[in-house]
Amino acid sequence: MAEKLIPITLKVNGKEYKVEVKPNETLLFVLRNKLNIKSVKGTCYRGECGVCTVLLNGKPVKSCLVLAAEADGAEIITLEGLAPFGTLAPIQKAFIEHGAFQCGFCTPGFILTAHWLLTNKPDATEEEIKEVLSGLICRCTGYKQIIEAIKAAAKYYKQDKQKQ
Amino acid sequence: MALVEDPYALLEKWLKAREFIVVGKGIERADAFDKAIGKARFVEDYFDKGVLFVKQVLSEEPHAILEGIDYSEALKIPKVVGVFTAQDIPGENQVGYALPDQPLLAEGKVRFHAEPIALVAAEDIDAAFEAVERVKVKYKPLPVILDPLEAMNRTDVLVHEENGSNIAFRTKVRKGNVEEGFAKSDVIVENEYRTHHQDHLYLETEGALAIPDFEGRITVITAAQYPHLAQSIVARVLGIPMSKVKIVIPYLGGGFGGKDDEGPLVAAKAALVAYKTGKPAFLMYTREESLRIHPKREATIIHYKSGATKDGKLMAIEVKIIHDTGAYTNRGPFILWRASVHASGPYYVPHAKVDGYCVYTNKFPQGSFRGFGNPSVQFAAEAQMDELAKKLGMDPVDFRLKNLLRPGQTTITNQLLDHSVGIAEAVEKLAKKMGWWEKRKAFTEYNKRSKRYKRGIGIGVAWHGISTSRGVPDWSNAYIKIDKDGSVTVYTGIMEMGQGSPNSSHRQIVAEVLGAPLDVIKIVFGTTDAPDTGATHASRGTSIGAIGVLVAAAKIRERLNKLAAELLNARPDDIVIANGKVYVRGNESKSMTWQELIKQAYARGVDVSATGYFFLPKGKFDDAKGQGYAYPAYSYVAVAVEVEVDTYTGRVRVLKAYPALAAGRIINPVQVEGQMEGAIAQGLGYVLMEQFVFDEKGRVLNADMTDYVVPTALDVPVVEKPVYVEDLFKYGPFGAKGVGEMALIPVPAAISNAVSHALGIRVTRLPLTPENVYFMIKKK
Repeated sequence: MAEKLIPITLKVNGKEYKVEVKPNETLLFVLRNKLNIKSVKGTCYRGECGVCTVLLNGKPVKSCLVLAAEADGAEIITLEGLAPFGTLAPIQKAFIEHGAFQCGFCTPGFILTAHWLLTNKPDATEEEIKEVLSGLICRCTGYKQIIEAIKAAAKYYKQDKQKQ
Repeated sequence: MALVEDPYALLEKWLKAREFIVVGKGIERADAFDKAIGKARFVEDYFDKGVLFVKQVLSEEPHAILEGIDYSEALKIPKVVGVFTAQDIPGENQVGYALPDQPLLAEGKVRFHAEPIALVAAEDIDAAFEAVERVKVKYKPLPVILDPLEAMNRTDVLVHEENGSNIAFRTKVRKGNVEEGFAKSDVIVENEYRTHHQDHLYLETEGALAIPDFEGRITVITAAQYPHLAQSIVARVLGIPMSKVKIVIPYLGGGFGGKDDEGPLVAAKAALVAYKTGKPAFLMYTREESLRIHPKREATIIHYKSGATKDGKLMAIEVKIIHDTGAYTNRGPFILWRASVHASGPYYVPHAKVDGYCVYTNKFPQGSFRGFGNPSVQFAAEAQMDELAKKLGMDPVDFRLKNLLRPGQTTITNQLLDHSVGIAEAVEKLAKKMGWWEKRKAFTEYNKRSKRYKRGIGIGVAWHGISTSRGVPDWSNAYIKIDKDGSVTVYTGIMEMGQGSPNSSHRQIVAEVLGAPLDVIKIVFGTTDAPDTGATHASRGTSIGAIGVLVAAAKIRERLNKLAAELLNARPDDIVIANGKVYVRGNESKSMTWQELIKQAYARGVDVSATGYFFLPKGKFDDAKGQGYAYPAYSYVAVAVEVEVDTYTGRVRVLKAYPALAAGRIINPVQVEGQMEGAIAQGLGYVLMEQFVFDEKGRVLNADMTDYVVPTALDVPVVEKPVYVEDLFKYGPFGAKGVGEMALIPVPAAISNAVSHALGIRVTRLPLTPENVYFMIKKK
């Protein structure tokens, strides 16, 4: 018996996609293999490492734990969507300036999570930053330069918030 | 005047540089932008529709005769294209790096649980998974041997019958006369230490995409650390010349040594399927497969006896090192050699006797991992140093300072260290900067008052030979060309796994030597289309890899100096080229741009391409006595840590880490700090959290990221800025030595010495998980 495909709509980085998915296909699988969005990585496939993090309706989720069918109608931002016109978000600039990556495999998840944190809480303390990052694994940096980058970017998000 | 093209003269000329344009600065990495916007491509990102998906059939038995492989049912699944076993290999199945003991696909026998037996290729991922389930392997189980001590003494159960023993390899170091050394010692300490396996847990698992017949050769995009090694293994397995194999290593999601072992093998497996089917083939290990299959950090048993005089001079060491190499030696003999010749730690010891044993068991193989046999032996050596100091009533740092190697002294292989030995200065500076002596006293006082929480401070000091061990040939190379528009392309076999050498130090070295602007320099890395540059391992990416880059750039610079001198009517020695501006020293009005100079080179017949081959000069080494020239230079490192132990739960927290490094010139301090901080975190994970759990058949019970636990942002300590002693190495690029592995090596020693200080109990066994520490306290 042929598997039933479910038609869904996803708005990814501002662009609308209509796609048919299997009931057991994860959002991670669909983003990578059906929509060709390659910044989203997978490696543990059980929600432990956070390399597959995307922003779903504004909040970070581990896309390996979300069924694509359940994300129907959702708005999704991946790392490609943070600088759609080449103007880097302050957190991206800060990651570059502070050497906050080495291999870069975990970077999309860290940048998106940090962007979400600073957008909502630009005055987050170092302990709060660490707490939020603790759902993500980086095996290269030892986290110090990542945390420094987030702290350095915070002032730009504070200014943005004041303007609002 | 003849142009200087001799690499020795060019290295010496640039070693003398005192003012720098970009060297020594925290220049942004060339890959930073791609990685920040999500454009960096890794192996799996090249997988696309129409590519065959490959899955491995893994052994369900840890030790068994292979009586048959029946895959007829698998072939009945639509979209399954083929199943391939050792029988299908057109070339050689033998892929052992140090000894010819390891097959690519099991043949006749399996020697560890999850050993790869067959490859299934399908047009669809689901079909490949289903086909693996349908391959029936018939096993005749054999007795399983897991304990290396038992394996050493038994010959009735052999992992490799052809070897006649489970001891795969032995090493020996004999310096002076240890009996005499111990007789002259006033204090003697003797202990047995044990260390455990560690997984690299790079976030990107092993993968390869093989494309047949591209450019008339088979091209493999693979996660390896040495393109030319992957090329030779693929060529050997397929039975074709190396020239018919092209390897491309894109960005890697971490390596740490693990992909130097497994990378060529995953490449060969994908290539085999592509070669047999004529279609592109993609193989990527799942996390579970990666944890079960690829070689791990050595698990060791180290028996260590050392003696010192009452005035604190080390006299003798006698060390027996046993490495559990698992089912195959892989790089085990090289790892054992490195451990053996570093067994003393960075100290002058007149009498030394070291015996190493590399022992087969039915576990996953031992392999390359940041530190390569050294973290375990430095852990033992440094525990001995603390215990000797304690017996002598001396402070641990004071005792070390009396014995640390200095220029003019010899190592335990009797190698004379004539220069680049900055460790004593580094340790002294570090101890002063961090207030070692005051802290040590304050913590001892604190522990008298505090019942539940105990604090400790400990230091680990280590050394690490740069380049291959024992005078084994090693070289550097690179090819540089400058195009008509002045843009510079550098081709190197050094690859990018996050360490940054091609994207930071290589680019800076070329900008420094050529004087070209940074933004016109492009490094093409990790390709067999570059000359063989050696592997990106052993902290050699910059220290050895960039020698070729410097030499090639320096050759071109000599030619450009001569040309610019003619054009600007000056002497070649007075030509300055910096940041793309060419001018005469002391007369900046006589100038031209970099682009104009290159245009003139093309117009006037000046070759602006060069290779930078450099063969490292080495001395003789006698394997029978373990005496002689072990390495061209050593990098040195110290890490001190402060810990707090909850004696009620056994939980250890590392509060602060203080690193010091004597690794020659620091080319890019931001990158070096990143390496130090990352290495400390990885070492901390090893000591406090990470371990494999085996069942009675040697099967791994925690092959996933839920149960194999690594540090998060909440687990890492505050890491202070490193103390640097730039003890220049005469053949290093601008005097640089290796950095990448360094800060991990002393971490097991530092943390365990700090915990021993906190608790007053000698740590002899890792890991220091809460339960292990809890029972250690209870036993006291």
